[in-house]
Amino acid sequence: MTLKALLMAAAALHLLGGSRFYLFIPAVALQLFYLSLRGIALGRLPLVGPHDTIAFLGASVGLMGLPFIMARRQKLPAACSGSIAAVSGLFTLIALLFKPSFFPLPPILNTLWFECHVALAFFGYALFAIAAIFGVFFLLRPERSLLDLQYRAALVGYTLFSASMVTGGIWGYYAWGTYWLWTPKELWTAILWLFYSFYLHFRLKGSQWERVTAWGGIVGLIITLFTYLGVSLLMKSSHSF
Amino acid sequence: MLRKLYQAIGSLNLAFGCMALVMLFMALGSFANSDQSGINDVALLIWLRQAPVRFSWWLWIVLALLVVLTINTIVCSFETIRSRYANRSLLRLLAPQLMHAGFLLIVLAHLLSASGSSKEGGRVVEGMTVTLPDNSQLQFTSISGEVGGYGMPTAYQSSIIHTVNNQRQSATISPNHPYFYNGYGLYLKQVELLPRPSAVVELHREPGASAALAGALIFTAGNLMLLLLRRGQEA
Repeated sequence: MTLKALLMAAAALHLLGGSRFYLFIPAVALQLFYLSLRGIALGRLPLVGPHDTIAFLGASVGLMGLPFIMARRQKLPAACSGSIAAVSGLFTLIALLFKPSFFPLPPILNTLWFECHVALAFFGYALFAIAAIFGVFFLLRPERSLLDLQYRAALVGYTLFSASMVTGGIWGYYAWGTYWLWTPKELWTAILWLFYSFYLHFRLKGSQWERVTAWGGIVGLIITLFTYLGVSLLMKSSHSF
Repeated sequence: MLRKLYQAIGSLNLAFGCMALVMLFMALGSFANSDQSGINDVALLIWLRQAPVRFSWWLWIVLALLVVLTINTIVCSFETIRSRYANRSLLRLLAPQLMHAGFLLIVLAHLLSASGSSKEGGRVVEGMTVTLPDNSQLQFTSISGEVGGYGMPTAYQSSIIHTVNNQRQSATISPNHPYFYNGYGLYLKQVELLPRPSAVVELHREPGASAALAGALIFTAGNLMLLLLRRGQEA
């Protein structure tokens, strides 16, 4: 109960006052503290099952959002910072709907490659969510700086997500005998990767396509959510929860 | 006319079209591909030839599109280097092309695996000897495991002795620690201790693995270079 109170407090700080950095930072600190305590209790990173992964995603959104919120050169509109905080808080609340599990880690998951693979994927997902937020605000207030921020978030997210695919392939080779499987999870991972490859190339089309680019960042989040949650919950895959 | 065709083949719009269609057909395939199709049980090209079209149609289309995208990437990269060689710094020119090169190497890796990979397996009991594809003998001298508080296995392993040309080599295999020999990997999948220690093992051959790793590393290097170059700049 005490541990859950940490997550509840983090969600409350994010949702009620996250546009202010002096509330955002403690909220992220609480999320990371919760994950640390969870990790100590489990003896590993908390990266398996819906509760742990969604809580990790919530914390990742907060953590990846910090550089954008703290950057002095680019003062974000308060609503933008508040939206990043709200998304982080929302995922944290959703995590609370699922019971944390204490099952021992299956031996096949007991490797650093697995932990790197999952953590990098979530950092990528978090940045795709932040990119989507910048896209929404660009559509409401067409300032070039917001589109630049969307691009930056998407590019860093793409880098981390690509690294997640590399570590996943290495893990798969040592665990399953192959670096790739043709299951729904891998297919949607490839789709997500291709989508952001498409998005990052799209800026070459020119300034008359800016609104389409902004929408691209928003559509990317929908694909991200389906890749992470939809496939795991709705389809049979080696990545199912 | 040839020049126009060449420009079209290397065009950004063709890349967009191919990527969009690959995404679409992969998405359709994810819903159409049932877990009874056996797509992961044999080399992909063998599966494509043998599987009914109702399971494989989407992958045929994806492969055709990937061929076009591969040619498009090669032509685009060549043209970019040719036209911007004098006008850009080497790093700015190199970063995206390294990413393209990594992508192409990964496509090649998948082609190698699709044509030459293999997987076979079965259940072995403690003490059993199996014959590998090169006629060498491999004995599972011990199979053991530990069970945790919830009755779930927390660790399992098998000691093996591999005899090659009368030379005996011992090793221990466990999850994430396979035994590699002559292009093959021996994997321990599952262990049961009662009534007699036994294990499910698989022998995999993955000829594209090295190319995939090389492609991944080259892609990552280019990606990181691009990140560094884009710091503090507009999109």
